Amino acid sequence: MATLNEKKTCSERMENFRRFVWNPETKLFMGRTLINWVWISLYYLAFYVVMSGLFALSIYSLMRTVNPYEPDYQDQLKSPGVTLRPDVYGDRGLQIYYNVSDNKTWEGLVTTLRTFLTAYTPAAQRPNINCTSDTYFIQDTFDGPNKTKLSCKFISDMLQNCSGITDPTFGFPEGKPCFIIKMNRIIKFFPGNGTAPRVDCTYVVSVRANRAAFLLYKQGDETRPLEVDYYPVNGTFNLHYFPYYGKKSQPSYSNPLVAVKFLNITRNVELKIVCKIIGAGITFDNVHDPYEGKVEFKLKIED
Amino acid sequence: IQDDHKLSTSELEEKYGTSISKGLSSARAAEILARDGPNSLTPPKATPEIVKFLKQMVGGFSILLWIGAVFSWISFGIQLAQGAESPFDNLYLGVVLALVVILTGIFAYYQEAKSTNIMASFSKMIPQQALVIRDAEKKELPADQLVVGDIVEIKGGDRIPADIRLIFTQGCKVDNSSLTGESEPQSRSCDFTHDNPLETRNIAFYSTTCVEGTATGIVINTGDRTIIGRIASLASGVGNEKTPIAIEIEHFVYLVAGVAVSIGVLFFIISVSMRYKILDSIIFLIGIIVANVPEGLLATVTVSLSLTAKRMAKKNCLVKNLEAVETLGSTSIICSDKTGTLTQNRMTVAHLWFDNQIYSADTSEDQTTQPFDQSSPSWTALSKIVTLCNRAEFRPGQENLPIMKRVVVGDASETALLKFAEVILGDVMNIRARNKKVAEIPFNSTNKFQLSIHETDDPNDKRFLLVMKGAPERILERCSTIMINGKEEPLDSEKAEAFQTAYMELGGMGERVLGFCHLYLPENEFPDTYQFDTDSMNFPTSNLCFVGLLSMIDPPRSTVPDAVSKCRSAGIKVIMVTGDHPITAKAIAKSVGIISATSETVEDIAKRLNIPVEQVNRREATAAVVNGMELKDMSLQQLDDILCNHSEIVFARTSPQQKLIIVEGCQRQGAVVAVTGDGVNDSPALKKADIGIAMGIAGSDAAKNAADMVLLDDNFASIVTGVEEGRLIFDNLKKTIAYTLTKNIAELCPFLIYIIASIPMPIGTITILFIDLGTDIIPSVALAYEKAESDIMNRRPRNKRKDRLVNEQLAVYSYLQIGIMQSVGAFVTYFTVYAEQGFLPSTLLGVRVDWENNAINDFEDSYGQEWTKYQRMYLQWTGYTAFFVSITIQQVADLIIRKTRRNSIFQQGLFRNKVIWVGIFSQIGIALILTYGLGHVTALNFTPLRFQYWFVAVPFAILIWVYDEVRKLFIRRYPGSWWDKNMYY
Repeated sequence: MATLNEKKTCSERMENFRRFVWNPETKLFMGRTLINWVWISLYYLAFYVVMSGLFALSIYSLMRTVNPYEPDYQDQLKSPGVTLRPDVYGDRGLQIYYNVSDNKTWEGLVTTLRTFLTAYTPAAQRPNINCTSDTYFIQDTFDGPNKTKLSCKFISDMLQNCSGITDPTFGFPEGKPCFIIKMNRIIKFFPGNGTAPRVDCTYVVSVRANRAAFLLYKQGDETRPLEVDYYPVNGTFNLHYFPYYGKKSQPSYSNPLVAVKFLNITRNVELKIVCKIIGAGITFDNVHDPYEGKVEFKLKIED
Repeated sequence: IQDDHKLSTSELEEKYGTSISKGLSSARAAEILARDGPNSLTPPKATPEIVKFLKQMVGGFSILLWIGAVFSWISFGIQLAQGAESPFDNLYLGVVLALVVILTGIFAYYQEAKSTNIMASFSKMIPQQALVIRDAEKKELPADQLVVGDIVEIKGGDRIPADIRLIFTQGCKVDNSSLTGESEPQSRSCDFTHDNPLETRNIAFYSTTCVEGTATGIVINTGDRTIIGRIASLASGVGNEKTPIAIEIEHFVYLVAGVAVSIGVLFFIISVSMRYKILDSIIFLIGIIVANVPEGLLATVTVSLSLTAKRMAKKNCLVKNLEAVETLGSTSIICSDKTGTLTQNRMTVAHLWFDNQIYSADTSEDQTTQPFDQSSPSWTALSKIVTLCNRAEFRPGQENLPIMKRVVVGDASETALLKFAEVILGDVMNIRARNKKVAEIPFNSTNKFQLSIHETDDPNDKRFLLVMKGAPERILERCSTIMINGKEEPLDSEKAEAFQTAYMELGGMGERVLGFCHLYLPENEFPDTYQFDTDSMNFPTSNLCFVGLLSMIDPPRSTVPDAVSKCRSAGIKVIMVTGDHPITAKAIAKSVGIISATSETVEDIAKRLNIPVEQVNRREATAAVVNGMELKDMSLQQLDDILCNHSEIVFARTSPQQKLIIVEGCQRQGAVVAVTGDGVNDSPALKKADIGIAMGIAGSDAAKNAADMVLLDDNFASIVTGVEEGRLIFDNLKKTIAYTLTKNIAELCPFLIYIIASIPMPIGTITILFIDLGTDIIPSVALAYEKAESDIMNRRPRNKRKDRLVNEQLAVYSYLQIGIMQSVGAFVTYFTVYAEQGFLPSTLLGVRVDWENNAINDFEDSYGQEWTKYQRMYLQWTGYTAFFVSITIQQVADLIIRKTRRNSIFQQGLFRNKVIWVGIFSQIGIALILTYGLGHVTALNFTPLRFQYWFVAVPFAILIWVYDEVRKLFIRRYPGSWWDKNMYY
């Protein structure tokens, strides 16, 4: 088969390109006459206007079909995520390291807590009502102002020793730090099946994950399991904060919190602690999601 | 250095322990064979397989993908060093990209190896044979069994099977071009003419070809010890030549790679200037490259081509070079041989003249009866002469074969007469047996007649019958009477005139005419004991009775006229190039339509107007019959003139060298030239042609080696089938590419929107690969099975400089129109999924940084719910799946619209191409498996999607179909309009 090889030199290619951009003989600019360019541009303009219109129409009708109060599906939100404050993330998740004698190392942590709790001052909670019942706060009607539903108050006082009021340093300098556990909001989620879910913090006892805790455990130091004070009492999330009806229904809703105060942290050892939320409907065994139903963190207090 | 050429015959016999008359004994030959090994060249060290393999790894788009892979690994390295949480994603991506390149490379390598194998098996299919004298017998042996000392006989057309010292020659000429590069035939004799064995005339070398004559010689070297075996340079194969389709694909690769790189770099710059991290920008770059490169396309093209090649092989076109498939489709001139290609390659009786009347005979390939009027007693007489005055015989044992297929021992005209008689009269051999032959004078060139004397089969008639046939004018000279309606009438000048007219007429049709006469010898002069002596001719050979004329021609194949007219409507010029006589050539050209009924040559016009040839306006003649002698004296300018100005050309009495000149002339006109050939001497023309077509039956090895394609049935009509297939594959490749390119935009837009609007990533790089190499592969191959749109053989051949495979319209329509529609459809699905799970479109804009932040595990959606990182990732994968599904659904519509480029789908038939439906079902099936079967394998980023999301993009799929129907409607309705120019690809 004969070759059809058309070898061109560089200058020929440049020349060809130049002719392509503007060919003076045929008056073609990039292969088209100017008027042709105008036509084609107009066509594409119209085409894209129509396509944008179609897209806008689709999105508009989508917005018309979605429920403004709650999403159609909660496929990914079967069980709530759990977060920790203060939240300092290192390379491998939450890592809270500080030195009791160096206040620079823990001031940031304390500020985080304090800032976080500003949403729970009595002033900030004013729109919400006081709830006393220990059952789910089910609202089928819009009883609040402006077609909203009511939300229960959660005031930082309820965290007692960890409220930052009695101890503005949240126990950090003493080596007995407070942490705040928050459960993620999920609309119409009823945790605990009638029993208030509670927080339970333990060492992560796993050979690889937590050598220090393992060593403690091996030494037969069962006398020193993790000592924790939970606030409110028993570390429960009161059922009257549930269910959540969504941002539009409950604009002033704030998540209930549980504060944990670790009392017997061994110094200078990196400890791995997990705080689980115990309650029906809350799972913490999803291998892919380390924050579902539990929060794990590393804690190291130096002196 | 050997001195065999200096030795005498007897010295040679002694040296090699052989005998010129008896050859070697089989036992001795086997011994030598065991010692020396077979007579074949050790295959030249081809490019090492590993190099070929590696070449596949860097060709085409591979480089781009390698770059992507390397970038992935670099970013993995950086992330690992920074101790990021999940750096392995990039490692995997890099590995996947590398795997893609390697797998497509392996595929391409496998395909190439397979086509090399086809060629190898092809050359094995026709092993070279050599005629050897062994054990005092002539034997046909495979050439690789030859050993030193063998006596071989060669004749014109053969390849010399080993280095041979010639001991007997007759007009032997060899073509040493494989050795010296000069194709001028050199004569060979037994004489020692030069000290240098390479120069002396009495040695013929292995792998050269004997052009004409015959020779006998002793094998003096075999295998690697032959001269050519020692020349290492043989190893260098044919250079890498680019076929039209290879050029088109290269053009396409450049185009797509250009788009990929420029968009990639553009968005790299944009993302860097938007303060994205360099690392992130690199990852975007990888995504953009992957989205832009149609990873599966090159493999698809190869598969489509080989499918077509297979289809053509079924129709008797064996394609040696895959890409030749398409070249045939762009052919604009076919230079065809006459004998065997256009004609049946056998003489057949075409006309008869007796009783002052011309009768036509059936010349088709499978005749079983002859329709002309056989009631006249003259015919009875004529048939008797035809039967008896004939030395040809059927080989025994073929009674069950159709007459036309039986093998005959005898020359071409006698064979024709024998078969003709057999068809009409039945058992000729029996008739001959009943009319016993008593004397015979065979045909010779001085007499120009053949004569035999028979007893008659009538027991009451004791006369001898003398029958004679020969050149009509010579026969007529010997006749004094002529038979009209069974009666002998005196041959007066009026009747002689009638004979002349008939003879001229038949001769003018390019037919070979024979005259027949007979004489019943008077019983009294020639009693049944009479001894006939053919040397003294003791019997009358004049004053015979003229009976009639028969004319024979090698008739055109019955499929050829149709094929030629197809070529004509397909804008392909068919030029006949033959060594035959101009009159015969012209007659055949007329009968097959190469010269159409209405067109005239210059000579015809001159004859009609009764003016000298010089006065005819050459422009008026559409046809031309050019004689080889004229061609010899022509300048290139004149030849170009003829090729340009005449649409119907026949070259007669041409030599093979002139064939080359004609091919070059056609190529100067910018034509893509297909050349058919069978002889050794055709190989230069076959090589020179854009596509060389060798004859499978009549073709010599050399021609087959030089050709790109072999016609297994030697039939011209097969070429036309090939052209049709070639055009079809070009069209279908266009469709495949258009189909494949379209979704690239739907894969690319997500990255661009992601970078600009900072939304969660709509589609993952791995997901893109699943589209490109998963769902899309079978449908794009299925387009290769698409039937032609009606006009395929009614349009002009493709202009190889202007009509590109991937032209601007195709790219623009796919990228900027259908691609955009697909993107819109996919994005609507994406936004629907996110909105129904809690993230309304307004929330999504600008959310990227927080969305991807591992440290945020209470990310708030539009409804106030809070999401962990994993929950968001899972939603993102659901988004990928939704995007993937929408692209798949819309690709179904894309596949359907790509079935045609001009006709409505409803004209083409939605269900005619079943393979398309296989494609559609496979596409949806693979998507279902990926989503629901592998939806739980997190590494693949697929999730079991809610079923209703499969239908979100359906309106857009319908829109694509409707829009394309409208496009095609306007193209059909307003040909040549602005719309046609811009929207037809």
